Amino acid sequence: MIVLALVLVPIAVGLALPAIPRSAERAAKTIGMLAAAATVVLAVAARGDEWTLHWLARPFDAALHFGLTPISFWIALLAGVCTFSAVAGTSGVRARDLIALLLLSEGTMLALFAARDLLLFALCWDLMLIPVFLILVRWGEHPAVAWRYFLYNFAGGVVLLLAAVAFGLAAGTTDVIGVPGVHLAGTWVPWIMAGFAAGFLVKTPVWPFHTWMPPTYTSLPPPAAALISGVQSKAGPYGFIAVGLALMPQQMQADARLLIVLGLIGLLYGAFAALVQADVKRIVAYSSLSHLGLMLVAICSFDPLALDGVLVYIVAHGLFSAALFLALGFIEEREETRVLARLGGLDRHDPRLAGAFHIAALAALGLPGLAGFAGELIMLIGVYRAGLILPAILALVAIVTASAYMLRLYQDAMQGPPRPELPVRRDMTWSEGIALAPLLVALIVLGIYPTAILRVDMMPYVPAVQMQVQR
Amino acid sequence: MIAYPYGIADWNAVVPIAVVGLAALAVLVLDVFARPYLPRALALVLALVGTVVAGWACALQYHQHLAAFGGAFIAGGFTTVFEEIALIAAAGTLALYGRLGRDDRISGIVALVLWATMGAMLMAGAANLMSVFLGLELLSLALYCLCGISDRPAAREAALKYLILSSTASGFLLYGTALLFGATGSIALSALTAPQLGGDPLVWIGLALFFVGLAFKLGLVPFHVWVPDVYEGAPLPVTAFMSVATKAGALAVFARIAYAALPAGAAGAMLVPLWVLAAVSMVVGNLGMLAQTDLKRLLGYSSIAQIGYVVTALAGTSAMGMRYAIYYLVAYTAMNLGAFAVAAALSGEREEGARLESYRGLAYRRPYLAAAMMLFMLALAGIPPTAGFLGKALILAAAVGSGYAWLGVILVAGTAISLFAYAKVIYAMYARTDDRAAEGVRPFVPLAWASVLACAAVLLVMTFYPLAPSNVLPLVR
Repeated sequence: MIVLALVLVPIAVGLALPAIPRSAERAAKTIGMLAAAATVVLAVAARGDEWTLHWLARPFDAALHFGLTPISFWIALLAGVCTFSAVAGTSGVRARDLIALLLLSEGTMLALFAARDLLLFALCWDLMLIPVFLILVRWGEHPAVAWRYFLYNFAGGVVLLLAAVAFGLAAGTTDVIGVPGVHLAGTWVPWIMAGFAAGFLVKTPVWPFHTWMPPTYTSLPPPAAALISGVQSKAGPYGFIAVGLALMPQQMQADARLLIVLGLIGLLYGAFAALVQADVKRIVAYSSLSHLGLMLVAICSFDPLALDGVLVYIVAHGLFSAALFLALGFIEEREETRVLARLGGLDRHDPRLAGAFHIAALAALGLPGLAGFAGELIMLIGVYRAGLILPAILALVAIVTASAYMLRLYQDAMQGPPRPELPVRRDMTWSEGIALAPLLVALIVLGIYPTAILRVDMMPYVPAVQMQVQR
Repeated sequence: MIAYPYGIADWNAVVPIAVVGLAALAVLVLDVFARPYLPRALALVLALVGTVVAGWACALQYHQHLAAFGGAFIAGGFTTVFEEIALIAAAGTLALYGRLGRDDRISGIVALVLWATMGAMLMAGAANLMSVFLGLELLSLALYCLCGISDRPAAREAALKYLILSSTASGFLLYGTALLFGATGSIALSALTAPQLGGDPLVWIGLALFFVGLAFKLGLVPFHVWVPDVYEGAPLPVTAFMSVATKAGALAVFARIAYAALPAGAAGAMLVPLWVLAAVSMVVGNLGMLAQTDLKRLLGYSSIAQIGYVVTALAGTSAMGMRYAIYYLVAYTAMNLGAFAVAAALSGEREEGARLESYRGLAYRRPYLAAAMMLFMLALAGIPPTAGFLGKALILAAAVGSGYAWLGVILVAGTAISLFAYAKVIYAMYARTDDRAAEGVRPFVPLAWASVLACAAVLLVMTFYPLAPSNVLPLVR
């Protein structure tokens, strides 16, 4: 029952929030932060807990089945922390409505990661797109962005839904996520896997399905961008592990080469594109493309160590990309611009904000001691161990490039002579500090002690053939 | 000593229909005395009580299979389900009349709605060719009047259009009936099952004409051109009623014939054109929605596609398909009535809340009404967490399971197209507006809001507790 509460608490609070007066912004924020904090507590309490209700008997068995697997436990924690930070970092007009939608978004994502039934998974997949669409419609910069997000992701979602139905028809049941030893094989499997992969590739996103992503992340208000890039984009890698590797391992092996190539292209393309962007949010958006490409390559190496690294990096990337988007939002609010060329010398006036931004940027470029490094290193060792020498080398190139674009972002925005034309505002406020603090603390803690996540046993997700090779 | 041709058992079978008809008469009688006092409230309460009692009487028959009037009318099981759908449509329509329509005409309108409901209920249980026609005409004649009862010229135009085109379709149906009677020598639907009729050209032509008439009533492409025009012109509650009750009645007849009244051996081949029509409807209906700026017109095109989905579920005439078709039809009833109830809640004295323009910025003025409308649009598009999603998933499974995978593919393609049109409504409600203050907030309309709430609840509950009736076959005795 606790896991059900984990899913329903943010949704219920999100639905009830529009009932309080619009002017009670502070109250809305407090309620939102409490609800997000409650989900963190509930996620810890819900470890190992399951809740199930019989749903369909025909044409295949399906159940409303929620329960956190060891993998989704960490993603649920990430979602709770990111939502807390996003709500704490919300300000401006219509804050109440944005907080409500952020909580709804969190609830739908928690439902997705806690879903143990494929049909329910597909249902939550489509559901989690709706709050984001509404945020884009109301706060986005241009209607076309909302439509592009909608069309890409719903197309992916519909295909994924079909794949889930086809899986049910082929296997007789969809209540299979986290059940050991369920492997689907047969003539339909390539198509089913292709359907799931289409949804995952669009959502992650992976080149060439990424074109919705930079405008969406740029257009979203910073707290929403933090939550979406931090948590929702992890649905893709999570899906490849929990659905692809766990349920259709042979098909994943057959598709691995293609997926690795796509991941590598995204990895390099994202890194180089991030080098030349003029808009600060776009730099982070393209860096996301690069980092998620690396995760896909690591997943397709089928090495247990690489998979552990992926999980560490899922959490780490969620934390630092949320922190980066929030910090950039705070900067934009102060300086009223996002153009990198017009920023500069902010660390004179805003040393605390600059310091916080610095930590997030260093985590993004993989500095040892922060969580990003732990994930990247373990993934790379795993990829190398699996014999994928060339991808490992290309990934190194991208990681070096990451230092270049992240330092460019930091130096151009924060260092150098102050720009006289930029308005001088007060340094980071307490509420902004509360928003960033949990993310940065978690980055440091996980950087020093990633073992907590590395304890997750990834062997069930390693295809059988691969295991023989390793022995 | 007079020999009565029909006994108590016969009359028992039609109790629900009789209750609805009597309620209509009571409304008219009461109107004579009560007009000066509270005409609207009294008429609506009486009519709603009538539908509830009829629904209860109907539910009692569910587990029985009664054949009445020499096999002209079959009650119980399948009939009960479709009668209940017609009654729900009637109740939903009456709820919309809580504010719309002129006070001095309301009793007549309410009586006509109830009589139209009788027609749909009769079609639900009709088991011979004459009772099919009787039900269809009762329904249609009442609807012609209902379409025309409005001061707007567009409504008169719609009524005339509907009258002319619908009469033509009735003509087709009647001509088909005559040919079928000529071929079999009987008006009973069960007489059509004889295998030797499969080679009789008279039966083929008769059924073709009959199906043309039905396809017109269902609004399947290419017999759909009247749908958007009439839906746009007719008064809002009438459109709501037509989009649900007419479709339910025609579907009941179609399902009965497709499942139980076709020559053994030739049935599969005879039905192929219908599946093709369903496929074309799913594409054309969804494409047609894209360019619409009027909610009623948009829902008109939408209903063309939605009926295509339901017919897809019946493809292959499997028992599973029938259950899923009913499940989806009930869900469709809830989503359509809900969407129209939202429109009614937004309607003013002069205009109906049907222009998409009047939804701009609704999320700021009425956040919960906008949220409900979003739910209905998502349900129509088949997006979780609504019954529309589950219904489509089930239909897909049924179509693939009975060997009509190509219909499933078209269903998915149609859904993908329709997403854009439904999202347009959601977008209008949630988009930022500058003239927010200019748009006044309409007063609270309790009956319409209650209808919205009920429909939303039904859609959500049906998703997580899918109840498809199993007691619906056989259809003909």
